[in-house]
Amino acid sequence: MGVSAMNSFQFITAPTIPEASELLTTNAASTRIIAGGTDLLGEIKERVITPARLVSLQAIDRLRGISIDEDGAKIGAMTTIAEIAAHPHPYMRTRYAALAQACDSVATPQIRNVGTIGGNLCQRPRCWYYRSPHFDCRKKGGDRCFAHDGMNKFHAIFDGEICPAVHPSDTAVALAALDATVALSSSQGARTMPIADFFVAPAVDVATENVLRPGEILAEIAIPPHTAITRSIYLKAKERQAMDFALSSVALAMEIEDDKVVSARIALGGVAPAPYRAQDAEQAMLGKPIAEVDAALVGRAAVADAAPLSDNRYKVHLASGLVSRAIRTLLPDHARSQ
Amino acid sequence: MNSNAVIGASVPRRDLPAKLTGEARYTSDIHLPGMLHGKILRSPHPHARILGVDTSAVENMPGVHAVLTPFDVPAGRLAPDLPILDGVARYVGDEVAAVAADDEDLAEYAASLIRVRYETLPFVTTPRQAIEPDAPPIHSGGNLLGGEPLILTRGDTDEGFEQADRIFTMSFTTPAHSPAPLEPRAAVAMWEDGNLTVWKTTRGVHADRMSLASALGVERDAVRVIGATLGAGYGGKDESRLSVITAELARRAGKPVKIEATREEEFVAGRKRHSTETTVKIGVTNDGEITAIHATTLMDTGAYLASGPGVVRRAGQGALYLYRCPNVRYDGYLVYTNQPSAASYRALGAPQGHFALEVTMNRIADELGIDPLDFRLRNHVGIEGQAGERVTPASEIVDTQPVEGGIPFSSNGLRECLEKGAEAFGWQNRHETAETPSPSEAHIKTGSGMSMFIYRGGPGGRSSARLRLNPDGSVQLIAGLMDVGEGSTTVIAQIAAEALGVSYDDVRVTFGDTADTPEAPITAGSTATFSTGTAAKQAAEDLKTSILRLAASHLNAEADALDIVDGHVVSENGTMRLPLSDVAALTSDEPLEVQASVMPGSKDHIVNSFGAHFAQVEVDTETGNVRVLRYVAAHDSGRILNPQLATNQVEGGVSQMLGFTLSEEMLTDPHSGATLNASFLEHKSPTIQEYPPIQTIFADVVDPIGPYGAKALGEPPSVGVAPAVMNAIYDAVGIRLTDLPATPDKILDALNRLDEVTIAKVPSASMEGMSRKVPSPSTGEG
Repeated sequence: MGVSAMNSFQFITAPTIPEASELLTTNAASTRIIAGGTDLLGEIKERVITPARLVSLQAIDRLRGISIDEDGAKIGAMTTIAEIAAHPHPYMRTRYAALAQACDSVATPQIRNVGTIGGNLCQRPRCWYYRSPHFDCRKKGGDRCFAHDGMNKFHAIFDGEICPAVHPSDTAVALAALDATVALSSSQGARTMPIADFFVAPAVDVATENVLRPGEILAEIAIPPHTAITRSIYLKAKERQAMDFALSSVALAMEIEDDKVVSARIALGGVAPAPYRAQDAEQAMLGKPIAEVDAALVGRAAVADAAPLSDNRYKVHLASGLVSRAIRTLLPDHARSQ
Repeated sequence: MNSNAVIGASVPRRDLPAKLTGEARYTSDIHLPGMLHGKILRSPHPHARILGVDTSAVENMPGVHAVLTPFDVPAGRLAPDLPILDGVARYVGDEVAAVAADDEDLAEYAASLIRVRYETLPFVTTPRQAIEPDAPPIHSGGNLLGGEPLILTRGDTDEGFEQADRIFTMSFTTPAHSPAPLEPRAAVAMWEDGNLTVWKTTRGVHADRMSLASALGVERDAVRVIGATLGAGYGGKDESRLSVITAELARRAGKPVKIEATREEEFVAGRKRHSTETTVKIGVTNDGEITAIHATTLMDTGAYLASGPGVVRRAGQGALYLYRCPNVRYDGYLVYTNQPSAASYRALGAPQGHFALEVTMNRIADELGIDPLDFRLRNHVGIEGQAGERVTPASEIVDTQPVEGGIPFSSNGLRECLEKGAEAFGWQNRHETAETPSPSEAHIKTGSGMSMFIYRGGPGGRSSARLRLNPDGSVQLIAGLMDVGEGSTTVIAQIAAEALGVSYDDVRVTFGDTADTPEAPITAGSTATFSTGTAAKQAAEDLKTSILRLAASHLNAEADALDIVDGHVVSENGTMRLPLSDVAALTSDEPLEVQASVMPGSKDHIVNSFGAHFAQVEVDTETGNVRVLRYVAAHDSGRILNPQLATNQVEGGVSQMLGFTLSEEMLTDPHSGATLNASFLEHKSPTIQEYPPIQTIFADVVDPIGPYGAKALGEPPSVGVAPAVMNAIYDAVGIRLTDLPATPDKILDALNRLDEVTIAKVPSASMEGMSRKVPSPSTGEG
C-alpha cells in the first residue's frame, strides 16, 4: 500500500495503436501515455499528476524508425532523440540540419537515449509554479497565474496573457521551421496536420498544450522533401551548456536560389506557449538578394510584437540576437550584421 | 627534522580506496535489524501557528510505530531558537510532524494523512521587510538579531572620509546559495538500555553529541555519535532538525530509525549561504591612498539563527583588514525572515563581503587610472599588520579576525600571491594576447579580472589528539575530529608520522566517533589541520619522548642520544636499532599512550591566510553567457603539507564558487515564500562543460606558528572567486554587475542599458571606451 514520492499506478504495455487507443479512452482522466518517460516520471514524482494507469507504447514497432528519401523524412513518434541525432543519412545533417541540431541540444546524453521525439513534442511546460505542489495555477485548474506577478524570467514574451509557461521542446521549434506535419492516430482513425496546428494556445485550452484527444496518439512526424537549396539551423541559448532548457532558441530554414531568399521560416522557442513563428521577420528577408539581407533588422522584426514580463525583457534581445546570428551563420559571406 | 619526508608529500588520501571501490559506508548505507524509516511533514505556509495536529488516521495504522508532533516532544532544544518541533512554522518546508514506519513509502503515506490545523500569520521574505517597525516577529526578541547591528571600528571613519579626495560607494546583493552536496543529509538512530547511538552526516561528532543530548534530555555520555563517510558537507550538513527527529522517533518506536532527506528536502530544509545586501563606501586620495573604508552588510539568516552571528562577523573582515587603512568601520545586520534557514557554508560571510569590497576597489583603481594589480600592491596589508594600538591583553591569544591595529601577522604571503599569480596569469600582457576577432565573432568579448583576500589562518578552539603505540609498532592517532572529505585523516596522520619518525603507513587513524575520542571542535573554519594538527604534533612529540625514555632504559643508553627513524629507535652512532614493536612489548600492562590538548594560536601574532585570484572570461554579448576561460589561484596557506590534497581544495573551492558567481541561487516566490528551484535541474549547478582549467600556486611561506608551517586552506579558495570573475566581466564588456549570480538575463539587461547610452551619446564608440561614461548612481558621496 506504499505511496511514496511516486504514487502507485498500473503499467500496461499496449501491443498495437488501436489497443493503446482503447486503453487511453477508458478512464481517460487518470490514464497517461508513457513513451520514454523522462518528463512523465518527473511529473509524477513532483505530484503534478497522479495517474492510476500508464500505457506504454514501447512494444509498438511501427511507431519507431526513421525513413529519409527524396520524398522527405518520416520519423516514428517513439524514435529516440539520440537515434535521430545519430541517423547516418546525409540529409539529416544537411537538409534537416535544424532538427539534428535541436536533438543534439536536448538535455543530456542519458535523456536523449531514452526520450522520444513524440514525448519531446508532448512534454509539459517547465514553469516552476506549474511544477510546484504549492501553487494551484490555471494550468492545473486554478483561477490565477502566479508567474505574472511572481518570478518569471524563464517565461513567455509572446502570447502569455493567460498562461506564460513556455513550450519546452527543442525539436518542436526545428520542426516548425522545417514545415513538418504530424500524424495522429486512434482507434477512430487518423488525422494529419501542420505542426503549428498541433499546439494549442492557452486561450483555447490552458490545461493542455496540444490537440490530442482522449485515445489519440501522436504517431509520426513527416518533413517535406526539402532540396539541396534548403539551409537550416537551430541555435539554443541556455544558462548552462548541458541539462538545460532554452532561455530562447531559434530555428531558421531558408531556400536560396540564384542568391535570393526564396523561402524562409523562422521559429522561436522558449518565448511562447508554443513554437513561435516570426512571420514579420520572415517577410523581412523573403525575396531579397542575400547580399541585402540585414540580419540585425530581421532579428528586430522577429521580436517586434514581444510583450515581456517583469523579469524577462532580456529574452527580447536574446531572441533577436539569435535570429540575427542564425542568419549570419547560414549566410556567412553575404549577410550584413551591422 | 624531516626524517621521513612525509610532510610536503602527496600521500594518497586515506579514504580513497573505499570510495573508489564503493566500500565506503555513507549514512544511507547503514541498515540495522528491525530498522524503521522516518518521514517529516513540512509546513506549506511561510509563517503559521500550529493549532492542532490530528494524528488519529495513523496512530493505529499497521506498520506505523511512532508519530511526533510539536505537542508531544521533549522540551529540550538544539539551539536557543530551535526546539525538536515547534508550535510555529517559520518557512515553507519547516518541520511540523514526523512519522516512523516499516518502510519509506508507508512513512510518507502516513505523514500525508496527518491533519494539521494552522493559523496563518503575516510573513516577511526579505530582511528589509523584516526590519520594518511593524513587521511580524518571527521569534520573540525582534527580527534584527540583538536589536542592533554589530559595529566594529578602528580609527575614525568620519575623519578618514574628510581626508579623502574622492569617495566611492557601491551596493551589492548576493543570493541564498545551497552547498548542493551530492549526498543529502541523513541519520540513523538506535537506543539500547537508555543509550543512544546516532550515525549521521556530520562535521562534528562531539558538537552533535552535545546538542542531541541537550535536546533529548539525556546525559552527554549516554549518547554516541558516529560520523559516517560524508558525501560532501561544505559546512552545511548540521544545524537542522533531521537527526534529533530521527533519534526521538527511534526512542518512541523502540526500534532503530533512519531518515534520509530527499533532494528537494536537502535544497529547501538543508542549510545554505546567507543572502546579503552590502554597501561599501571607500575614501581615497587622488594618488590612491585609502583613507577610510565603511562596509555595511544586511544579512538574511532566514527562519533560524544557526551560525548567523559568526557569518555576519566574517562578512566584514575583508573591509576591516585586507587593505592598509587607519579608519575602518563595519556594520553587520543579521535578520530573521520567513525564508528557509541559512547557516554555515564554506567561508561563511567572507565571499559576500569580499565580492562587494573587491569590485569596489577595482572600480576605484580604474577611475584613478591605476592598474588594479598595482593598486592592490600599493595598498594591501603587510606583515606588520594594521597601524594602531593593540587592545587585546598581551597574555591573550590574538583573534584570527582582529579589528584593532598594532599586531603583526605571523606570516603574510599576500604580496607573493599577487606577484606570482599575476606572472602565471600574464596579467601585464593580458590585453595584448587577444587577436582581432573576425566579424562573425564580434559578439564575443574577452576580459580579465582579479581579486585578493584575507581569511582566518587556522587557530580554532581547544583541540586534542591522542597517540598510542600499538603492539605491532604502528601508531594509533585518535581524535574527535571528523574528516568531512577534506582529508584531515590523511594530513594530520602525516603530521603525526613526521613528528614521531614513523612512516605514514604506520599511522592508523580513529576519527569521527565520540566513543573514546577526546573532545574536538567541529571541522569548520578551516581549522582542522592547524588546530588538531598542532595537537597531533604535540602528542607525537610527547609519545616520542616516552618511547625514547623507555627504549633508553632498556638499551642502557641516554634518551638524548636516541632518535626514531623509519619506525625504529636508533642511536646516534648507529649501533643500536630497535623496532617500535619491540618498544611496545616493553610495556607489559598498558600501551604507551599520550594525549595532547592545545589551545592553538599565538599571543603575539595574527595567524591569517591570504590569496589572489585571476580570471579570464569570455562574454557572449548576444546570449549573455559568460565562459571562464582560465583561472589562476595563488594562495598563502603557509607550508603545504600535501600538495595534491591542497590543490584539490583550491580547485574545489574555485569550482564551487564559480557556480555561486555565474548560475546558482535558491529562489523563493516573493508572495508565498515557497522555494521554486529545489532540484538539480532548476538549480543551475555548473556542469563539467562550464569549468575552466584552474592553475593553483602556493606562496613559499612557512608559518612560524602552524604545525610544520601550515595555515588554513579549506575555505580561502571560496573567497576571491566572485570578484575576480565579475571584474573580468567588466573588463570584457564594461558592465559592473552588482547582483549575483551573473546569469544571462542580467548580463543582457545590463548590456542593453549600456547600449542605449552608447547609441544616445557616442555613436561608434567602442564598448570599452563607452563604459567609463555610463553614469553611475554611486559616484561621489553616497
